[in-house]
Amino acid sequence: MASAMLEFRTPGYNPYAVKYSPYYDSRIAVSAAANYGIVGNGRLFILGLGPAGIQLEKGYDTNDALYDLAWSEINENQLVVASGDGSVKLYDLVTSGDFPVMNFVEHKREAFSWSPSRPTSIKTFPVGTCTYSACFSPHNPNLISCVSSDSNIRIYDLRSPVSAKYHLTTVIPAHAPPVTPVGVLAALANGQTYAGAVPSEILTHDWNKYRDTVVAAAGVDRLVRTFDIRNPTGGPLSILMGHEYAVRRLAWSPHASDVLASASYDMTVRVWSDGSAAMPPAPSQPPVIQLGQQLGLMNRHAEFVTGVDWCLFGSGGWLASAGWDQRVLVFDAHTLLPPVL
Amino acid sequence: MGAIDRLQQIGNQISGGATPKGRAKLLEKNPDDIVVTCALRTAITKGGKGAFKDTFASDLLAGALKGILERSKIKPELVEDIVVGTVLAPGGGATEMRAASLVAGFPVTTAVRTLNRQCSSGLQACVDVANAIRSGMIEIGIGAGVESMSTQYGPGAVSEFSELLESHPEAANCKVPMGVLSEQMAKDRNITRAQQDAFAAASFQKAVAAQKAGLFKEEIYPIKAKYTDPKTGETKEVLVDKDDGIREGVTVESLAKIRPAFAKDGTIHAGNASQVSDGAAAVLLMKRSTAEKLGQPILGKFVAASIVGVPPLLMGIGPWKAIPKVFELTGITKDDVDIFEINEAFASQCLWCANELGIPAEKINPKGGAIAFGHPLGCTGARQVSTLLYELRRRGQKIGVTSMCIGTGMGMAAVWVAE
Repeated sequence: MASAMLEFRTPGYNPYAVKYSPYYDSRIAVSAAANYGIVGNGRLFILGLGPAGIQLEKGYDTNDALYDLAWSEINENQLVVASGDGSVKLYDLVTSGDFPVMNFVEHKREAFSWSPSRPTSIKTFPVGTCTYSACFSPHNPNLISCVSSDSNIRIYDLRSPVSAKYHLTTVIPAHAPPVTPVGVLAALANGQTYAGAVPSEILTHDWNKYRDTVVAAAGVDRLVRTFDIRNPTGGPLSILMGHEYAVRRLAWSPHASDVLASASYDMTVRVWSDGSAAMPPAPSQPPVIQLGQQLGLMNRHAEFVTGVDWCLFGSGGWLASAGWDQRVLVFDAHTLLPPVL
Repeated sequence: MGAIDRLQQIGNQISGGATPKGRAKLLEKNPDDIVVTCALRTAITKGGKGAFKDTFASDLLAGALKGILERSKIKPELVEDIVVGTVLAPGGGATEMRAASLVAGFPVTTAVRTLNRQCSSGLQACVDVANAIRSGMIEIGIGAGVESMSTQYGPGAVSEFSELLESHPEAANCKVPMGVLSEQMAKDRNITRAQQDAFAAASFQKAVAAQKAGLFKEEIYPIKAKYTDPKTGETKEVLVDKDDGIREGVTVESLAKIRPAFAKDGTIHAGNASQVSDGAAAVLLMKRSTAEKLGQPILGKFVAASIVGVPPLLMGIGPWKAIPKVFELTGITKDDVDIFEINEAFASQCLWCANELGIPAEKINPKGGAIAFGHPLGCTGARQVSTLLYELRRRGQKIGVTSMCIGTGMGMAAVWVAE
């Protein structure tokens, strides 16, 4: 692959997440940790894309590793980071000096993920196992989802009554086979039967930006799966096979309903179509699980890729990725596509 | 979560292995584990009557420390700190315990301190040493406990309460004698005399069986003591190698005849409460990497400990609160635990805690407890470590918990793994 690619180095720090600003097409934030996040400090990089390439606009140092970040959707200058000491820190690019404007300390161990910033902790949801990633639904502010090491996707609906389950409304066992009539096995689009998989840790998930009931999740077992939250026991809608090691981050495209990007410990970023364009309008019985198609592969990272995000602006297709090789790469996904004959 | 846990988490994400949890995680062996390479105790003898009645606490400790050096064969100069739990010694026993370490054969470079968290002092000493090793402050240390209730138990053990303390109801409760408050607790929580006596009789019977089978042999380090015969006035040196509080033939029926000690209509008596005793215990701790480097045999490892507070008048419920907390810290449940050593301060409180936690009787104090062989206050927490680890090893079992209630309303618990 010899296409144009912008690059920024984060010497001494290994990035764990990268996010485009939802306000500026030229601003990217990267949360990073010294010593691969095992022990040591963290650093938040605010990067600007300009004619001279990627420039550092600001940097914030922290006492513990930074594993994730999220931009505010109500204030273009604010973002939060999740720290290894369990704190969530809010930075304001205008008013912050070198320190966060607010520090929320409620987690008991490494905080890994958080999506969009909220002024205070409004609700607390006990999950009970190591939870790797949490998201608000982009379609409904009342829906919050999370994935965890117990192989379940959990969805919390704030409109539901508070009960012993703390608004937990849906649990999707990501590795279980679909519930089917006796004697009927779910099948993959290629004709093979699908009997589920051994439960393993789920490390990342994301809501589809167009189809409000679709969530993609992936993790240790290297497969990306998409689910319809209306049918928690129905098994995956589609399975995307290809990564050779655990998938660390997923991001649905803001421009196309069937496209998502994944970042993996196999040092690649892959761009996929989940095959939903080919899905039948009504679910078939027995269910047929679509096989996603890998549209492109970016293999320029030389270490684990931990973060990937889409630019919201322009014609679409710009991606930023970050990895343990201390590099942030910005590239156009179109350049990954096979040449059109 | 430390660096090792973070590393392991990432490692498992790559290998696809599940992050071990609960029991499996506890059974892992890592170089930074805090391990026990030697644990022993002196015999425990009856207060005022037993073989150690004329032996000072410092001498008991010196004996136990000598035992550690002899059995572990560790070079004394490698031990950087010795922490001694002791409750009744005036001035905290600081001076005489330091002196005892020198007598035992440690060089002047080995530091010594004492601490007092009442009945959990011996455990607190082990935990403090483990934490000092974990933090890198020291590499090798000894957690110990000692009490000579014969020479130091009495009304002088608690100082007068000021008017300020007396004016605060909960504060004033801290000095209610434990027998009195345990009596009240037994009444409040409906623990009948019959239940307590059955528990106590079982403790005696288990201890007798264990003693006959020689199960205390490994943990007891015999020491010599001077003993003055109260009848003849003659003083002689005796080798003390067994607990003398263990009585044969104790049954529910025989205990039923004993008069209550704290209230006329009470349920607690000398037979279903812990005995007043003398004894010492010591535990040699270091990192697994250190033990392997030195060729020290590994008896077991220390995993975690918890400390909790409860209302002073309900001090007996301490283990009921401390044990779930240590489970939370370690990610295990009661079903993962093979043996519970819960100090039998009173049959009433020990039984109540066990029932509330749903611990089956056969898992509690399989060799008997303080009711049968005594509770030398500062010693008990360190004593439980050897009682537990040798029994786990003998049965081929792995995970054990030691726990006790603490006067003034606290509870402590620790998780250990035998190897």
